Amino acid sequence: MAFFFSRGRSRQPSDVVEDELAKQLSQMKVMVQGTQELDASTDQVHGLVQAMLQEDLLYELAVALHNLPFEARKDTQTIFSHILRFKPPQGNSPDPPVISYIVHNRPEIIIELCRGYEHSQSAMPCGTILREALKFDVIAAIILYDQSKEGEPAIRLTEVQPNVPQRGTGVFWRFFHWIDRGTFELSADAFTTFREILTRHKSLVTGYLATNFDYFFSQFNTFLVQSESYVTKRQSIKLLGEILLDRANYSVMMRYVESGENLKLCMKLLRDDRKMVQYEGFHVFKVFVANPDKSVAVQRILINNRDRLLKFLPKFLEDRTDDDQFTDEKSFLVRQIELLPKEPIEPSRSGREPSRSTANTTTVA
Amino acid sequence: MSRTMADDMASQYQMMEELGSGSFGTVYKAIDKSTGEIVAIKHIDLESSEDDIQEIQQEISVLATCASPYVTQYHASFLRGHKLWIVMEYLGGGSCLDLLKPGVFNEAHVAIVCQQLLQGLDYLHSEGKIHRDVKAANVLLSHTGKVKLGDFGVAAQLTNIKSQRNTFVGTPFWMAPEVIQQSGYDYKADIWSLGITAMEMINGEPPHANIHPMKVLFLIPKEPAPRLQGDGYSSAFKDFIAQCLTKDPDRRPSAKELLRHKFIRNAGKTEALQELIHRKQDWDGGRGVSRNVKYYAESLNTITHLKDDDGWVFDTVKAPTMVIREDSDVSDCGSIIHDPLYDESAEMMENLRISSPSAQQRYANGTAVRRAPPPADRSPSVRRPKRRSSGVKQPLGVDLTFGNSPSTVRQFRRVSDKSPTEDSFSSYQLNGDENASPKSLSTGTNNKEAQLGRRAYSKAVGHACQEVLGTTGDQEKREAISRLAEAWSDLEMVDPEGLYHILRATNEKLLSDPKLSSLVPQGPPPESPQRPRLVLAQNNPHLKSHKRRQSAVVAEPIPQPQLASSPTQSVPGMEHIKQLSDVLYGRWSEGLRNRWPGV
Repeated sequence: MAFFFSRGRSRQPSDVVEDELAKQLSQMKVMVQGTQELDASTDQVHGLVQAMLQEDLLYELAVALHNLPFEARKDTQTIFSHILRFKPPQGNSPDPPVISYIVHNRPEIIIELCRGYEHSQSAMPCGTILREALKFDVIAAIILYDQSKEGEPAIRLTEVQPNVPQRGTGVFWRFFHWIDRGTFELSADAFTTFREILTRHKSLVTGYLATNFDYFFSQFNTFLVQSESYVTKRQSIKLLGEILLDRANYSVMMRYVESGENLKLCMKLLRDDRKMVQYEGFHVFKVFVANPDKSVAVQRILINNRDRLLKFLPKFLEDRTDDDQFTDEKSFLVRQIELLPKEPIEPSRSGREPSRSTANTTTVA
Repeated sequence: MSRTMADDMASQYQMMEELGSGSFGTVYKAIDKSTGEIVAIKHIDLESSEDDIQEIQQEISVLATCASPYVTQYHASFLRGHKLWIVMEYLGGGSCLDLLKPGVFNEAHVAIVCQQLLQGLDYLHSEGKIHRDVKAANVLLSHTGKVKLGDFGVAAQLTNIKSQRNTFVGTPFWMAPEVIQQSGYDYKADIWSLGITAMEMINGEPPHANIHPMKVLFLIPKEPAPRLQGDGYSSAFKDFIAQCLTKDPDRRPSAKELLRHKFIRNAGKTEALQELIHRKQDWDGGRGVSRNVKYYAESLNTITHLKDDDGWVFDTVKAPTMVIREDSDVSDCGSIIHDPLYDESAEMMENLRISSPSAQQRYANGTAVRRAPPPADRSPSVRRPKRRSSGVKQPLGVDLTFGNSPSTVRQFRRVSDKSPTEDSFSSYQLNGDENASPKSLSTGTNNKEAQLGRRAYSKAVGHACQEVLGTTGDQEKREAISRLAEAWSDLEMVDPEGLYHILRATNEKLLSDPKLSSLVPQGPPPESPQRPRLVLAQNNPHLKSHKRRQSAVVAEPIPQPQLASSPTQSVPGMEHIKQLSDVLYGRWSEGLRNRWPGV
């Protein structure tokens, strides 16, 4: 198999080398995926995988992807996606060998794939490969916890310290930048990957958010929820709702809805001039109001705006007449706001713990 | 920054007239100022789309990874406010459906188009892509006669070249049997559609065109494959059609194999297709069709802003007086986009009047479920006059001239997941009108009952049949039961409303019989703490309808309120709500009841 790799590994290929490389990538693609008429041979793929690991070709491809020509980029994406999934027939480990290899020996591959978002040419193929790899929580962990600088070795799983807050320099935090600043295609792809990182492996993410709560949500609120881009804004409000209302993130949600600043942000969304932004904002806002243990700050804002809210909510998106659930939730919120006390009351902490509520008399009916 | 960047990109194009509006947006002609190249730009109003933006991203990513002379070339896409602009290659010859307006194609023309299409399909398939909506409307011609596949609105990218799809998308008349049967299909589905398209080009319409699309979905898998009849056609052509329309996808040849078919090998040059383009131009001229040209008009800047952007009081000090602002129009703000070219409501009325007699509407609702053929146009290839002169708006708001046909079935949600009116109307009648406001959609009782009927089928009848079948051993009895199950299924698809009425009447009759009434389980106790709806304030404006619905529970076999607000039901795009019910009402229900004993 070595003849495949004997040439064409230069970072700045001349045209001839580039053509040659593109040709070999195309052959490799056919080898891993077969054709419509011909199935791929498992032995051949197995040999190819071995050779690629030995030659460190995955890393080289990840680094150079944005320099490859159009078809070669697509071929690279196909090759990656296939061999990330590949399991040798006699293998008995639950994870594909390439995933294990990356995690233990070459996490830099993942970091380089993320950095593919630095270039519009490589953003989409890298994103597709990353999302394939992100089916495994270990890959998500690498992206979340790596803080290596360019050229430095990336994090090994054994080095992960979940309780130490992130410095905010790792590759994960670059996603905010890519999503906020990228062109539509790049930004949208980066967001899809970002969502995958945050929603796929719940226990991992819950721990991460608990440790990095303040920094994460300050970034999220600043760059995503208040993004200039309509798509980023709308999608991230929706994602925020999903994260908060995920049962696994219960304590994250409680912490988020304690904050008066978060509530203000959310109430501004209700008055955005685009109705889908209003709508997505509503689904975050309702969590603040439905929380039976509102913080004093949240209560104060709601009480100060009680009359405005009671006037505003019944007419809010009232053309959603078919949306019974929305209407019901609105009614529920109106009721909750009507029931607010005149002055904020110190919350009891009982509500913090799910299903452990003792009868208490601090709140008036 | 993104705003500026988008403005830069937008200002690179000189917008010209509208080419047509179809599924997902309006297409304009434009000039790329930097190169002088004419392009087509599709504007998608994301505000009017409840759909996940990810679906549109999917379309773009399929397009962006195509580079073939047989596929419409994608140039760029960017956001401008809440509109997404997709810049594409401009194809001046129009779609094959347009070119069919003056009359059918001859065999030689069909051969050229098919030969070109096969190369396009061969390219797509080798890339692991399935187009899934091949039909004359989606075959576009350049002014020189080059043939390109367009509209990738429902195309699929397979991660694995061998993998299969199950999604029910496409346009009924052109759908392969295996797609309809949802038993898994692959790129061969496009070959079937190509065969139907060839028949469409030679006959002017696809087979079964005079039959309701709903029914066609039964016919295609059941009946023998259509064949080209008549002495006027060569045997090579007839054989080509027969090869494409092989019901068994495994025996159906691939695009590569068909490129070697005699009919295709003998095809002429694409320049010959210019005859069709000229014929169309003459035809338009002869009919005095003066295209009611619509020019692009910027509508972004006219979004109504709130008078008071800072409507909330965020001081820590309590506001001295609660000034009640006159904000009766708040909910409408932002949704009103004044486009001088559209008179939204007039168009809507026109649409409803022209295209939707009530019976059709019912079909529309019935069909949007999962098999979802278009209700509107019974004869899909029948050409409508283009924009009629002033005043009269086009039916359906859809112009078929630019490869946009109203009838493509997208990946629909099940109706139980979403309100039927939105599904059926916005997907069909209105999908061409990006300014359509959902508030104008009517809610007929039909819809509700049909929805209930479908739900009754999916939640109760279907399962009940299966359960009984599962506990029945006798073969004869089993057959009888499965015949019944099938009949229910048919009824559900054809007339869910009728299904609902049968169940309802059955239930009432059971209840009215003293001996049988005990069989009928009563609805859930009204005081379920899981349900937020019970926390309504007395002065709540919705209380009336709420009460009405509550009292309806008793009379109806299906507890209606559950439809929309059952905590277990997931609504796409609104998953948070399900989770809210789960998380909040579930976990805190005890706490809530302690605090508000009235709950």
